[in-house]
Amino acid sequence: MRTLIKIAWRNLWRNRRRTILTASAVVLALFLALIMRSMQFGSYEQMISAGVSQVGDLQVHDTGYQANQSIDRAFFYRKSMGKTLAGIQGITRVLPGLKTFSLSSYGKQTKGVLISGINPVLQNQQNHLSGKIIQGKYPTGDHNDVLLGDKLAEFLKMKVGDTLVLLGQGYRGITAYGIYKVSGIFHLPSLQMNSELVYMNLKAAQDFVYPYQSGLLTSLSVFLKDPAKLESKKKEIEHALDSDFEVISWKTMLSDILQTIKVDNISGQIMLLILYIIAAFGIFSTILMMTMEKRRQYAIMVSIGMERRRLVWVSIFETFIISIIGIIIGLLLASPVIYYLHFHPIPITGDMAKMYLEFNIEPVLPFSIKAHVFLSQTIIVLVLSLLSSLYPIIYLSRFNILNAFRH
Amino acid sequence: MSIIEAKNIYKVYNETKVPVNALNGVDLKIEEGEFTAIVGPSGSGKTTLLNILGGLDLPSKGDIFIEGTNLKDLSSRQLINFRLHNIGFVFQSYNLIPVLTAKENTEFILELQKVPKKERMQKALELLEAVGIADKVDHKPGQLSGGQQQRVAVARALASQPRFIIADEPTANLDSRSTNELLEIMAEMNRKYHSTFIFATHDQRVMDKAHRIVTIDDGKIIGDETFKGR
Repeated sequence: MRTLIKIAWRNLWRNRRRTILTASAVVLALFLALIMRSMQFGSYEQMISAGVSQVGDLQVHDTGYQANQSIDRAFFYRKSMGKTLAGIQGITRVLPGLKTFSLSSYGKQTKGVLISGINPVLQNQQNHLSGKIIQGKYPTGDHNDVLLGDKLAEFLKMKVGDTLVLLGQGYRGITAYGIYKVSGIFHLPSLQMNSELVYMNLKAAQDFVYPYQSGLLTSLSVFLKDPAKLESKKKEIEHALDSDFEVISWKTMLSDILQTIKVDNISGQIMLLILYIIAAFGIFSTILMMTMEKRRQYAIMVSIGMERRRLVWVSIFETFIISIIGIIIGLLLASPVIYYLHFHPIPITGDMAKMYLEFNIEPVLPFSIKAHVFLSQTIIVLVLSLLSSLYPIIYLSRFNILNAFRH
Repeated sequence: MSIIEAKNIYKVYNETKVPVNALNGVDLKIEEGEFTAIVGPSGSGKTTLLNILGGLDLPSKGDIFIEGTNLKDLSSRQLINFRLHNIGFVFQSYNLIPVLTAKENTEFILELQKVPKKERMQKALELLEAVGIADKVDHKPGQLSGGQQQRVAVARALASQPRFIIADEPTANLDSRSTNELLEIMAEMNRKYHSTFIFATHDQRVMDKAHRIVTIDDGKIIGDETFKGR
C-alpha cells in the first residue's frame, strides 16, 4: 500500500501545474462554500439566539397555555417547582414571567398593550434590558414603575415621570386596573415591541391581574447551559413536574423563525449545489486529463502483473491527496476570514435592516464558527472530489492494455 | 514438454467492420532456455503473436498453452496474476514506470509478488548490477539514456523469475553500442539463469545472436531455423 501511495504522490507532482490547478478548484469550492454557509448559519444562529433570549430554551406553562395564551391559563408558582428545577443540572437560569393584554391610556390617547411582568434583576442578567433604556432609568427594586417602548411613548405622548393608566381583564374574570409611573423608555430592535410593550415589575403585574393571591405566572422561562441538550432537558423537566404543566421548547414557541430558516436554507442549498456542480466539473475535467495522460503507465503496470483494483487505489489516492491539499488550504484561507467576520459582523442597512429589526434581530451579518459548518462542507467537498475519481475507477477496471499502449 | 505451445492461432481485428487478419493459423512451440527471434516485415504479425504469447491479447481462434495452462481458460484477473509469475516483458519503448527509480522499477514487480522488502531490494540491486547500471539505481527513467532504460527493463523482466521473457523490438530505439551491450546482457542472462527469451525484431544483430529464428509473413510462419552452437 505504501508503494501505491508513493506512486500516487509522485504521479501528482509529475505535472505540478495541473495538480495545483485541481487543488485550486477544491480550495475555491471549499472557501466559497464555507463563507456562504457560515454566513447563513451565522444569521440563523443570530435569529434563534435573539428569540431564545426572549423566551428561553424551554418554557413551563399551565397545560394548554401554548395553544390558548389567555390570562385564565396562568398558574400559581409553588416553591416546590423552584426546588424541582433547581435540582436539574444544566439549567442556568429560570425567569418567571406574566404576560397579559390591557388597554393603556394617557391624556386623550389610548392603545392596546402587552404587559410583561418581569423580575428586573434576573431579566437584566439575561438580556441586558437596562442597556436598551434611552430615557429615564432601569428599575432595580420592588415598585410599581413601568418601562415603555419608545414608539408607544411617542404614540401616547408620554415622557419619563408621567402616569400611565391601564385597564384590562384580570385573572378569573376580574377587572384589572392600575396607575403606573413611567420610570424609563426603552428601544428594542423590534418595531412591534417598541410600539406595544410595557415592562412591569412582576409583583406589580401580579397585583394588576389578581391582587388576591401572590405568585401568579404565565410562564417560567428556563435557560440551559448546553442548548444541544434541549430535548433531554425537556423530558427531564416534564418528568419532574406534575401533569398540570406543559414544557415547551423554543422550537415550538419560535416555529415561525424555524420556518423562515428552513425556506432560506433551501435557497442556500440550491446556490451551494450550483457552486458544487461548477467545482465538480473543474475537478472532474483535470482528473479526466490525468487519467488520459497516464493510460500508458497504467498499461505498463497491468501488463507486468499489477491487478487493476490496485491501480484503482492509486487513482483514489491521487484524488484523495489533491482533495486533502485543497481542503487544508481552503480551511486555512477561509477560517481567518470567517473568524474575523464572526467577531466583526457586517452591518446591514436599508430595507434589509428594517426587516431584521421587525424580527427583533440586530441588523448585522455574523458568521458562524460552529464546527458543523466546517465539518459538513469539508466532508461534502471531499466526497465530491472522490466522486470525481469514479471515471478513472471505471476506466481502470475496463481499459484495453494494447489500446492504452498506443497512446 | 514445451514452455509455450501455440495451436492454430488466428487473430482478426475489426471483426465486425473491416476485418484485418493479423494471424492466420500459427502453430509454434517454444522450449525452455530458447533464445528465439521472430522476424518478418512490418505488419507481418510479429507483435500480435508476441502479445498473444505474452497473454496481453487473446486469439480470435486457437489455443495458447503455457506449460499446460490454456490462457483462454483464465479470467482477466487470473491472467494478470499469470503474467506476474510467468512472463517478463521488455518493450520497444522501455515502458518503465516513469515515477519510480531504476531500483524501484525493478523492485516493483517483486513487491507485486509479495517478496519481502529486504529480499527484493537485494535482488533488484543484484540484477541492476548484472545489467551494468549499479551506479544509476536511484535515477528515474527520465534521467537515463535509452540503452540504460532498456537495461532496467531487462532487470525488471528478470526480477520476477519468469518462465520466459517477451521482448518486442527491444533494440529498435537503441544505438549500435547500446544494442550490442543489451544483447550481451540478455545472452548472458540466458546462459546464467537459463531464461527463455522470445524477441520480435527487424534487427540483424539480434538475429545474429538468436539460437532460433522464426520467420513470419502475412500472419503465417514461413520459416523456422535453429542455429546450434550460438
